[in-house]
Amino acid sequence: MAYEEPITDYDHIVENCTCAFCGCNCDDLEFLVKDNHIVGVRHACRLGASKVMEDMDQRLMVPMIRGEDGELEEVDWDTALNKAAELIAGAVRPVFYGWSETSIETMKEGIALGEEVGAVLDNQATICHGPSLQAVQNAGYPVLTLGEAKNRADMIVYTGSNAMNSHPRHMARYSTFPRGYFRQRGRFDRTVVTMDPKYSDTAKMSDIWVGFEQNGDYEFYNAIRAVLKGKELKQDVISGIPKEDVYELVEAMKNTQFGVVFFGLGLTHTLSKQRNIDIAINMVQDLNKFTKWVLMPMRGHFNVNGFNIFMSYEMGFPFGVDFARGYPRYMMGETNTIDLLTRKECDVFMVIAADPGAHFPSGANKHLAEIPVIQIDIHWGPSTEIADVVLPGSFVGVEVGGTSYRMDGVPIFMKKAIDKPETCRDDEWIVRELKERVAKIKQAQVASK
Amino acid sequence: MTYVDKPAVPRVVKFDEPTATKRDKLDVMLNTGSDIYQGACKKRGSTLKDEYRKVSGVAYMDPKDMAKLGVNNWDSVLVTSDWGEVVVSAVHSRDAPHEGTIFIPKGPWANVVVSADTYCCCDPTYKGIMCTVERSDKEVLLMADLMRSVYKKYVDDDDDEGIEKLESLGEMPVYKKL
Ligand code: SF4
Repeated sequence: MAYEEPITDYDHIVENCTCAFCGCNCDDLEFLVKDNHIVGVRHACRLGASKVMEDMDQRLMVPMIRGEDGELEEVDWDTALNKAAELIAGAVRPVFYGWSETSIETMKEGIALGEEVGAVLDNQATICHGPSLQAVQNAGYPVLTLGEAKNRADMIVYTGSNAMNSHPRHMARYSTFPRGYFRQRGRFDRTVVTMDPKYSDTAKMSDIWVGFEQNGDYEFYNAIRAVLKGKELKQDVISGIPKEDVYELVEAMKNTQFGVVFFGLGLTHTLSKQRNIDIAINMVQDLNKFTKWVLMPMRGHFNVNGFNIFMSYEMGFPFGVDFARGYPRYMMGETNTIDLLTRKECDVFMVIAADPGAHFPSGANKHLAEIPVIQIDIHWGPSTEIADVVLPGSFVGVEVGGTSYRMDGVPIFMKKAIDKPETCRDDEWIVRELKERVAKIKQAQVASK
Repeated sequence: MTYVDKPAVPRVVKFDEPTATKRDKLDVMLNTGSDIYQGACKKRGSTLKDEYRKVSGVAYMDPKDMAKLGVNNWDSVLVTSDWGEVVVSAVHSRDAPHEGTIFIPKGPWANVVVSADTYCCCDPTYKGIMCTVERSDKEVLLMADLMRSVYKKYVDDDDDEGIEKLESLGEMPVYKKL
């Protein structure tokens, strides 16, 4: 890569900002601000920097409604909000999806709106770590904070996760490289293992790569459990791994002082889904008979964990919460976005701070093409191409403050660094406005009956 | 403490046929997932642009598989699964060898061919999908054009030919200003 001159042309620096990208929520960022724009970011990784220094070409600046001819047309805020409120108030089975890239404060308004109209509230966990949350309900959750990993861990296992690509500073800040209280020499005091069928960038940085077969995770973890329980392995090769290697690996895992398993979507997106994580949690429990082991899901968006924690506190369920009967209900495979869409059940879809166009399988998105879609976001993205009402929000952590939860459940307040564009509104304000307008429409309906 | 060398013989799905023969169509396993370039591009909000097509509308393939198909870097290939078909560019994988598997980063292109089946577990199956890859002479669509041709929300549903002939939506947002 070509050498780039350091940025010297800026007005002031805002220190200790939090990155609004991945679940690491790095809170040591410095923003270089010039004319109310961020021209540089210090300490962030490639991903974090790219998000903070966004490409303004595609920023959603004005509210829009899709006209008769299928083209989006700019309208004023009142018209757009009224149209959205009308759609929501008239819906039989509305789904409010997203929330992971906005603040807890916004979610609070969202719950009130959801209760008002009997909607389903769901977040990105449903297509990423949903199975992990189910497994946690099945088999328990041997937790830690990232600080513990940094200070104590001498064996780090990444499984089904390519941290170098999806959480680039995770290894540098929390797990592998930093010097910790009990790990004074940093990287040299730790063993890093990557268990993944893919020889990923994380595997390239590890001491050991266990490249088991595709869809072989369930079998492989069970083999480890069997060895931990003192059983002989009957096959010579398990999921493509020679049994001697399995014995050696188990021996190494038993002889650590503090081991951490970080697992990613490689486990949840294959066919055995939540059972993979069930078995991984059980493996960690078995390992605890010998030494201390813990595990943590590698959460993606900076506040995806926040929604799950907040929902569990408020409503008792982590995601996919259905208010259709007036009280919160949650049923796996029943009240989740993808299932609601593939069954063509949902009739109005509101997406806030998420991008189903880029993340849902086309089988689910096809239904979105048949129903009204309301989008609250900061960028023009794949979802805007299928949206009917577009409401430009603002960027949490840069343009507005807000609370978010790191992947280990530590809440962090993200501060505001610059002012938002004049024509945009806070997510919180938009959802509250919608709630008030929907309530008004509902009252008018009751009064006229 | 040393970094373990990458094994010379990777553990991958083996084909019955010899590797040398050139073929028109390959049976492969598709994995999707996030990738640092795709993530950076998506979140900086430049999904309409060519750069997003270059990082998300690609299939990372093993060079040997590419040789079998007779495609070079950035040639178009058609990926077909039970759930749909999409044209993407073939690109040498940085993680090769992994004959028999391809990787398409998360994004609108991958979505067309992944399975929406959740098996009552809320999560669609994004990994380990059986599909075929063959050469194609079509161009990889820009994001906006792809969304239009796959979901047909605002165009005539039945007229596939017509959609292909429509003018490209381009790399900048298209909307009517006040
Ligand atoms: S690792 Fe994650 S939170 Fe930290 S700077 Fe990178 S994207 Fe942001």
